[in-house]
Amino acid sequence: MHVDTSPDPMRIYRAKRDASHVYVKSKYNILGFISSGTYGRVYKAEDASGNLHAIKKFKPDKEGDVVTYTGISQSAIREIALNREISHENIVSLKEVILEDKSIYMVFEYAEHDFLQLIHHHSQTLRCPISIPVLKSLIYQLLNGLVYLHSAHILHRDLKPANILITSKGQVKIGDLGLARLSAQPLQPLFAGDKVVVTIWYRAPELLLGAKHYNNSIDCWAVACVLAELASRRPIFKGEEAKLDSKKNLPFQRDQLLKIFEVLGSPNEKDWPSITHLPEYTSLKRLDPYPNRLFDWCQSCLRSQAGYDLLRQLFMYDPDQRLSAREALGHAWFKEDPLPTTNAFASVNSNQIPPHRRITQDDAPSMSMTIPFQPGQSGNAANAPGPPFTQVLSGSSQQAQVQAKSGHSHHTGTSGSLGDVGHGTTKIRKKPRLG
Amino acid sequence: MATDFWASSHYTRWIVDRATLKQARADDSAYVPEPEYLDFLTIYFANLITKLGKKLQFRQRVVATATVFFRRFYLKNSYCETDPYLVISACCYVAAKAEESPVHIKNVVTESRSVFGQAPYNVKHFPSDNSKLAEMEFYLVDDLECDLVVFHPYRTLLALCKKDSSMSPGGGNSDMPSQEAEAGELGTGIGAEDGPRFWGTGEGKLELSEVALQTAWFIINDTYRSELCLLYPPHLIAITAIYLTLVLHTPTQNSIAHLLPHSSAFNSDIPIASESPQATPQPRRSSRSSDPSSKQTQQDPISFLADLNVSLSAISTIAQEIISMYSLWNRYKEDPTAEETRNSNMDGPGSGSPASHTSQAGVGQRSGSTPLGNTPGSVGEGGTDDSANQPNNPWPFGQGRVVTAMFLSSMLNSMREARMSDMAHPSSGRPVVVNRMLERTG
Repeated sequence: MHVDTSPDPMRIYRAKRDASHVYVKSKYNILGFISSGTYGRVYKAEDASGNLHAIKKFKPDKEGDVVTYTGISQSAIREIALNREISHENIVSLKEVILEDKSIYMVFEYAEHDFLQLIHHHSQTLRCPISIPVLKSLIYQLLNGLVYLHSAHILHRDLKPANILITSKGQVKIGDLGLARLSAQPLQPLFAGDKVVVTIWYRAPELLLGAKHYNNSIDCWAVACVLAELASRRPIFKGEEAKLDSKKNLPFQRDQLLKIFEVLGSPNEKDWPSITHLPEYTSLKRLDPYPNRLFDWCQSCLRSQAGYDLLRQLFMYDPDQRLSAREALGHAWFKEDPLPTTNAFASVNSNQIPPHRRITQDDAPSMSMTIPFQPGQSGNAANAPGPPFTQVLSGSSQQAQVQAKSGHSHHTGTSGSLGDVGHGTTKIRKKPRLG
Repeated sequence: MATDFWASSHYTRWIVDRATLKQARADDSAYVPEPEYLDFLTIYFANLITKLGKKLQFRQRVVATATVFFRRFYLKNSYCETDPYLVISACCYVAAKAEESPVHIKNVVTESRSVFGQAPYNVKHFPSDNSKLAEMEFYLVDDLECDLVVFHPYRTLLALCKKDSSMSPGGGNSDMPSQEAEAGELGTGIGAEDGPRFWGTGEGKLELSEVALQTAWFIINDTYRSELCLLYPPHLIAITAIYLTLVLHTPTQNSIAHLLPHSSAFNSDIPIASESPQATPQPRRSSRSSDPSSKQTQQDPISFLADLNVSLSAISTIAQEIISMYSLWNRYKEDPTAEETRNSNMDGPGSGSPASHTSQAGVGQRSGSTPLGNTPGSVGEGGTDDSANQPNNPWPFGQGRVVTAMFLSSMLNSMREARMSDMAHPSSGRPVVVNRMLERTG
């Protein structure tokens, strides 16, 4: 670097700013570690008045061993910028952002549960379906939040059970806007920014077929997948994601499409005229034809004609015919008994509600050791049901986290495998230590 | 530009009053020879942002967002206590991300050093490592309170106006409006937007010639040389730009002259409020006509503007503010060698005169097409090249002393040096505590 004898022109500014900085640790008591991902880590924390928060800490970048400033990631900028503009009861609210020590801390309201955890609770612990009143209330609130996002011209682009939270009062909170973006007046087409969006199991067929232009309806497809998953307690289209080849070309997602066709039947030009223009149309034509058996699928799970009809309309192949979030919210299913409730758990016995989120003491030195260890809140058996579910649950809640799990998996194409762990197997994630 | 403007961070947190603006410059005003120089600095910095934006191949909206970030930052800080050049780089770097058109940090550093290092700025201290800029980004985002979604007048302009299709068949050089208008967006902030009139159909829009639409676009570009973006919602700025186009752009003005029985375009009163609809016998919203001559008579921009549910006194104030910015800008001289430069290179990117409009429209140097564009050039920079195109210059631009970028650049340095020295040896005799640990060298 060149020699510069003049004093740093920002010296006064820096001194003033640093003197007035409020530190994360002076304001929040970190209770424990919730989950991690490529973006960084999520912690449970409480403020001076005892309110709970989830603090998402973006990983500082390192050059070798030295932590250095590299610039805020596009994903963090998006999540911060969009969260500052929105406010809705069914969206996780951002309380504040603290920029400190080369890291970004986003302080969110805390939510005790999430859809994935609930699904696990029912499939592994209770071994019974999620009741229709709960199911309907959750989907209603999810759609309510989505109507708000879409009316604000925001595409979520990563709706899935792990990203949809539920408070202890049974209120749904859509989380993780790390892949979300404004659809209004893009300076460049949406696909130019992110080649791949939405975790594979929840990805709409037009995306799987390589559409360059898409809109709100991709989120509505994901809602339908989530609805089906709540109803059956397993992902409805659990395909294997084809990986990017060495030249980073987008592969044809054959397996995922087949999983969809097995339930919904093969798409045709009559129902979806614009399908012929999609890049993967020719590959699609080479696949075997399947009949639509969604009705049969619904018989065992939803047991409601209106429920079937909602699912059918959300699973429309043609994005233009697919129900919008607002139309779905007005669907007859939500007007027939049982009616949706503000507290989704209103009809549930307290012993049937999923356990609290497990937290552990962070093994990394970053933010953990400032708080006295509180034995009752460590990650062990204290607040979880007995084995073997303890391990499965902790594994799933690790990844199920709310604000956790931003874009990396989508970009790297490994999202499916992450989800795998949480889904009904007895696999145990290596992280965190289970003590 | 997300969501609803009235619920946005832009409206709820970043529209301020004039007293706040004045307060924000309180420290700086102690270090400038005349208060007027602060207004010149406002132009100087906007031109620099435009220049850097050009180098980074930004779209106009990214430049506009970067400029708004810069203005907001200096609502809370002083020029004399900061490095405005580093702040400009950080604003551009963050704006690119906020507008979903990211650029690599290394490019920003490289281009910043190249732009700021040359005359007339001659900035020698700009850091060469990325981490200094990234650190500034942190401070900037913090000072911006993480409010990174910005609304701009361009959107309102395109929601209210469309190109007169009969006058420019085929669209011509239409990069500017068509791309920005993608998705037919709304939320212009005007009350009537729930009606069918502005819902992206094109029905009910004011039809302007392509040149007039570009003129309005350029006027909006130029408003970023003022602090209007901190004072007024963007839709009011857009409507003012339409209004100024109608009254000042000679061809447009002529086309509507018969609709204005007793108003002079150069009257400083806003005529649109006093015009009664009866003055215009033609139906306001014409059906599409293929005959250009009959079409002109059917356009009635006056009642169109009068029907918008906005404060006309605010429009009047903004118009006056824009005009005084132009007269100031006219006295501003970017480059001491501008005359030679202009001959060889008509429009060095963002060379900073009003004549070199920074549109992304690919019509960069059509200064003759904008009534407001060439006037300062003809006085301040001896740019006689296009004044011939503009016989009807209405304003007495160019009164007073010329101020150069070179002068402002060195004034900034002395402001900072004086401030530092005052901080170290205040008049009270006691040194101000500055944490030595924080002192760094560039």
